[in-house]
Amino acid sequence: MFLCTMALLAGCGETNHENKSASAVQEELIYATAKDIHDMNPHLYTGSMPAQGMVYESLVENTKEGIKPLLAESWDLSEDGRTYTFHLRKDVKFHDGEPFNAEAVKLNIDAVQRNAEKHAWIKLSSKIKNVKVVDEYTVQLILSEAYYPTLVELSMTRPYVFLSPKDFIQGETKDGVNGHNGTGPYKFTEHKIDEYAVFTANEEYWNGAPKIKKITAKVLPAGETTFLAMQKGEVNFVFTDDRGADSIDVQAMNQLIDAGTYQLVRSEAMNTKMIVANSSKSDSPVSETAVREAFWYAIDRETISKDIFEGTEAEANRLFSSNVNYADVELKERGYDPGAAELILEQAGWKKGSGDEARTKSGQQLAMNLYYDSNSSSQKTQAEFIQHALMQIGIKLDIIGEESSSIANRRSTGDYELLFNQTWGLAYDPQSTIAAFTSEASYLHTTKGIAEADHLYDRIQQVMVSTDEEARKALYAEIMRTVHDEAVFIPISSGSVTVLAPKNLKGITFKQTQFELPFEQMYFE
Amino acid sequence: MGSYIAKRLLLSVPILLMISFLTFLLINLSPMDPAEVVLRAQEVPEITEELIAKTREELGLNQPFLKQYADWVMACLQLDFGESFVTGQSVWSLISPAFLNTLKLTLVSSIIIIVMSVVLGVVCALNEGKMLDRSVRGVSFFLTAMPSYWLASIMIWYFSVRLDLLPTSGMDSYQSYILPVTVISVSYVGIYFRNVRSSMLGHLHEDYVVYGRACGLPEKKITKHILRNSLQVAVSIFCMAIPIILGSTVVIENVFAWPGLGRLSVKSILSRDFPVIQAYVLILAVAFVLFNTLSDMINAAFNPKLRKEI
Repeated sequence: MFLCTMALLAGCGETNHENKSASAVQEELIYATAKDIHDMNPHLYTGSMPAQGMVYESLVENTKEGIKPLLAESWDLSEDGRTYTFHLRKDVKFHDGEPFNAEAVKLNIDAVQRNAEKHAWIKLSSKIKNVKVVDEYTVQLILSEAYYPTLVELSMTRPYVFLSPKDFIQGETKDGVNGHNGTGPYKFTEHKIDEYAVFTANEEYWNGAPKIKKITAKVLPAGETTFLAMQKGEVNFVFTDDRGADSIDVQAMNQLIDAGTYQLVRSEAMNTKMIVANSSKSDSPVSETAVREAFWYAIDRETISKDIFEGTEAEANRLFSSNVNYADVELKERGYDPGAAELILEQAGWKKGSGDEARTKSGQQLAMNLYYDSNSSSQKTQAEFIQHALMQIGIKLDIIGEESSSIANRRSTGDYELLFNQTWGLAYDPQSTIAAFTSEASYLHTTKGIAEADHLYDRIQQVMVSTDEEARKALYAEIMRTVHDEAVFIPISSGSVTVLAPKNLKGITFKQTQFELPFEQMYFE
Repeated sequence: MGSYIAKRLLLSVPILLMISFLTFLLINLSPMDPAEVVLRAQEVPEITEELIAKTREELGLNQPFLKQYADWVMACLQLDFGESFVTGQSVWSLISPAFLNTLKLTLVSSIIIIVMSVVLGVVCALNEGKMLDRSVRGVSFFLTAMPSYWLASIMIWYFSVRLDLLPTSGMDSYQSYILPVTVISVSYVGIYFRNVRSSMLGHLHEDYVVYGRACGLPEKKITKHILRNSLQVAVSIFCMAIPIILGSTVVIENVFAWPGLGRLSVKSILSRDFPVIQAYVLILAVAFVLFNTLSDMINAAFNPKLRKEI
C-alpha cells in the first residue's frame, strides 16, 4: 500500500530534488544503518563490523591477491610452521597518541586469548601458545602446531585487532574498555545510542589521511524512512548489512537510481546462500543421499535469482563459488532438472501412488520440514517457491518460520531436516565454513550422517595443519567433492555487498569480506 | 481524602508484585537456556558447552528460582534492572534516556490531544447535527481509520521531501517533534473528542440545564457548568491516555527513527534481551497502575461518593 502511494505521489514531484543530496554534503558520508553500532570493543562481537573496520586494524590484510602487510611490514615463518615473526611498522600511533609497538600487540593478543571461550569459532585462538616481544618493533606468535590459515585469521575484522593500551581496564578488554582508540583511518568521535555515531578522518593516519573527512552512521530502523531520507539527502549512503539484508528494497533502490542522483555498486559474489540438509537425521528421508540430490535438482535457481531477488543475487550451483580460494574444483553439474529428480527418487524406491500427496517407501512418506528465518522476507518467498516445486515431484515440504536464534539453536542440536544458511564469506572461506563441518555448534549434524564422514573429518584435520600448498589443494578438492556428491549443502544463490551512493562518489571498492567497506579510499569528484 | 489516597495506593502494591513476578517468569518461559540466549544475543559466533556453563554461573542462573526473583525485585526497587544481555551496559542507562525521549513525545502529544479533544468536543456538541459537527466527525473518522504507519510515511514524503520544511526523522530540534506528534495526535483526538462530545450532549438535556435556562441564566454560564460536569468523565480517559501512548509509540518511533522506549522494546524482543524487556514491561505496568490510581483520585476529589467505595 505504501509503495503504491509513493509511486502515485512520486509521479507528481520528482524533479524538485535531483542532485540535492550530492551537493548538500560533499565532504561527508551519512550512511543509514538499521541498528545502532553498539559496543565498539574490538575484542567482542556486538559492535557493528563496518564501524569497527574503520577504527581498528590488524597485522595483515586479506586482499584479492592474497595476504598483504598492514600493521606488520613483513613476517617470517619458521621451518616447522609454528613461529610467526612479525616486523611492525614504526610510524603508527593509536588515535590517543600512544605508540603502536610489540608491547601493544602482545597486550592485545593476550587479552583476546584470556577470553578464549568466546573465540572458539576462530581456530587460531586454540593454537596460540605464546606471544613474545623480541624488540620494540618485532613480535613473535608461537603456535602449538602449524596452522596454515593463521595469517587469514589474523586479518579478520575481529578479534585480532589493536586497541590502545590506555583503553584497557586492568589489562583486560573482556569486561569492557575505557575508550575506543585504534590505529585505523577513522577516529570514533561521537556516539548517541540509537541515534547516530560519528567517525572523523585520522589526519595522522600512517597510510595518508582519508579524503572523506566525516562519516556518520545514522540509525534508521524503517526502510521506508531510509528511502525518503535518501531522497531528501539527509542520508546519502546505504550498503548491505552484516546479515546480507538490504535495508531498502530493490524497487526503492531502482527509483533512487532512476532519479539520477545515486549510483549502485555491487561487489563480486561474497558468500553462498544455501539450504543445509541434516544427513544425520536417521529417521527422516533427508538422511538419504538420493533424496537430497533430488531436492537439489528440483530447485529452479534461475527463477529465484530473477524473480525473487530481481537479479540482485546470482544463482549458485556449488557450495563455494570459484573465486573462493581453493574452490576452483571440478564438481558434478546439477542444474534445474525435475525429470532427473523424479528418476533418482524412483530408483531409490520412493514410489508415487495414484492420488497420493507424496511419494512413499516402505510405508514412510517422503515429507520433510524446512526452517526459514521469519525476519527474512526473501527466505520465506524462496521457501514457498521451493515447496511448490517439490510438490510437483512428490516431496511434501512443510515450511516453518522461526527467529534466527532459534534456527541457530536447531542447527547446533541437530533438531532439523532442512534449514536456510549461508557460508561465512570470502575472507573466511573455505577454511571457516569447512572447519565448521566438524563443529557441534555449526555443521556437525549436517555432515555426520554421510557414508564417509570420518574420512572427511580426517581430511579436514589434515588440511588445517598442512604446510604444503599442493597437498592442501588436493585435500580441499577432496573435501569439497565429498560434500558436493553427498548434497548436504544445497546452494541457492550468491550474495554480494551492495552500495547505493551519490553519483559523484568515486573510489568505491570492496574488501574480501561482506562485513566491511574501505571508506578511506572513497572521495567526491 | 487522605485515607482514600493511602488505601488506593496500598491496593496497587499486590498488583505490582504480581506483574513483577510474571515479568520475571518471562526469561524462564523461553525454550532456550537463558545462558545460551545471552551468548546468542552477544552474537558469539560459536557457542560451546563450556561457554554456556561459564555464562550460567556468571549470571547466577544456578541459584534457586525464588532467590533469583527476590534478588531481582530488591535490585529493581533501587532502579538496578541488571545488565543488558546484548551490550553488557546497565539496563537503566539504556532505558532511562529512551524513556525520557518517549515521555517527551507523549507529553507534547497528550497536551495537544487534550486541548484539541476538548475544543472539538465542545464545538461539535454545541453544533450538534449541523454541518460543522458532521464534517468534523467525518474527517476524524477518516483520519483515525488510516494506519499511522501509512499516514506517517505520507506526511514525511509531503512535508519533508516534497516541501522540504521538516526533517524526515531523528530528534535534533523542536522541528523534529512536529510530524510524530501530529501523527500520534490525529489518531487519538479522533477517539477522545467523541467522548467529550457525547458527555457534553448527555449533560445538555439534564434538569439543571433546563432549570438554568428557565431561570434566564446567560447561555455562556450554562455552557460553563455543562463543561465542568462533562470534563469529569473526560479526566479519567485523559489520564489513561498517557500510559497508553507511552506504550504504543513503537510504530511511530520506528518510522521517525525516534530513540525511545518503543524502539528499544522491539529491538530487545528481537534479540531476546530479557533484562531490558523485563524493565520495559515493569515500567509500563507501573505507569498504568499509577495513572489509573491518579485518575481515581481526581474523580474522587470531584465526587465524594466515590471515596467510600474502597
